[in-house]
Amino acid sequence: MPKEKPDVKNLSDNLKKLSEITEWFEGQEDIDIEEGLKKVKEAVGLIKASKERLKAVENEFEEIKKEVDIEKEEDNEEGKLEEDIPQI
Amino acid sequence: MEEKVFSISEYIAILNTELRKCTAKIIGEVGKVDIYPSGHVYFSLRDEKDQSVINCIIWKSKYELFGIEIKEGIKIIATGRPDIYKQTGRLSFIAETIELAGEGILKKEYEKLKKKLGDEGIFEESKKRAIPAYPQKIGIITSKQGAVLADFLSNIGNYGFKIKMVDSRVEGQSAITDLLSAIKTIKKKDIEVLVIMRGGGSFESLQPFNNELLVREVANFPFPVIAAIGHDKDVSLTALAADRSVSTPSIAVTVLSESWEQAASLLEGYERDIIGSYENVLENADSLINHSVDAIRGIKDIIFNKYKEIETALKISFQTFKNALQNNKSNLKNLWRKSVFGFNSLLSIIKQQLEHSEKIIYLRNPETQLKLGYSISRCDGRLIRSIRDTKIGKDVDIRVVDGAIVSRVKNINKINKKYA
Repeated sequence: MPKEKPDVKNLSDNLKKLSEITEWFEGQEDIDIEEGLKKVKEAVGLIKASKERLKAVENEFEEIKKEVDIEKEEDNEEGKLEEDIPQI
Repeated sequence: MEEKVFSISEYIAILNTELRKCTAKIIGEVGKVDIYPSGHVYFSLRDEKDQSVINCIIWKSKYELFGIEIKEGIKIIATGRPDIYKQTGRLSFIAETIELAGEGILKKEYEKLKKKLGDEGIFEESKKRAIPAYPQKIGIITSKQGAVLADFLSNIGNYGFKIKMVDSRVEGQSAITDLLSAIKTIKKKDIEVLVIMRGGGSFESLQPFNNELLVREVANFPFPVIAAIGHDKDVSLTALAADRSVSTPSIAVTVLSESWEQAASLLEGYERDIIGSYENVLENADSLINHSVDAIRGIKDIIFNKYKEIETALKISFQTFKNALQNNKSNLKNLWRKSVFGFNSLLSIIKQQLEHSEKIIYLRNPETQLKLGYSISRCDGRLIRSIRDTKIGKDVDIRVVDGAIVSRVKNINKINKKYA
């Protein structure tokens, strides 16, 4: 069975899989060292991919925040202009 | 000096010349009457007292004027002169006028003619024409000698009358010729009404105005005729035939000027009415303007109030819209903040989860234990956790970090319980 490469883009699936691996380790009485190693490798890959994805998501989110902040500033300028409109 | 010898013709001519100076008015009873085919009338007049007789002639043109039928036995007064007719040497009295003599006969003839003309309808009231209102062009027939004209002119008033007057004798039978001629003359003038005037007098003196021809001329005159012919009892037939008969010239003036006086009175009335109406109109206009001003003020107040209402409503609408915008912005901000917070929380949870997983994986990683020098032993494939899990002589697989060691149990030593 070929080694499954973690999908760096699907953070939710990775986290789910990571959670399953964690639960597997926590639930093991007798450690299957080979299986444990496999799980560890898979988990390390998942953690790495998740961190990358998380970083990318964070960066993306920061970009969005910046855009939103710019829009807010523009809105504030417009608000000032509205204030300048003479009253009837 | 030899005495001149005249021919008969010359002598008769001389006589006739002299006889013309013997113009006279004679009275007598009509004897034999011959009316020739030419219309000329030959008659004799006889003196009542001594039966003296004189032959008389009245030419047709004159005879027709006086309306008197010359017949045997009537008494007449003839005015004229004597004349000798050359061809016969006969002296005849050429009558210029004739009139009936004696009041009884005059009245009888008057009544007779009055009946005749009355039967013809000449005096009918229905034939009377109205004196035109506001007359200006007035014709007058009267004698300029008498006081009548002065009386008329002094009373006529200042109404802009244009008067055309024709002089005529108004007394005696000779007046008939004048009156008829005057009527003929004035008929051609540009007039609107004719006034025939003379002062009062006796029945006999008014005889010309009982002349049939004159009466007919007056009745058929193209314009209305006013007769101002003074009389006592018997109204002259001319006055009866006239469209209006009055007793004096001053009354004739009143008739002519009454429409003007009425007009003046009407004008005064109209002036009062117009001024009164105009004052009413002004008053009404003033009242209307005041009402209009009040109405406009009312409308202005309504408009201003309405404007203020609209202004207030607009302000409220703008404020509401502004508030709505503000609320939307605020909601958006809150939602954004919540989103950011939620996302950060999610990131934090994920990070924690990753850290936890990392920790668990690290701790549970068998290699970690093996690197520390620990090993995992299995006997018959099962983990050896106790000395009971194997037996002496059994093969044991020992897993270390970098490989597996197969060994055989030689001895088993039990460790004190407190370490078990």
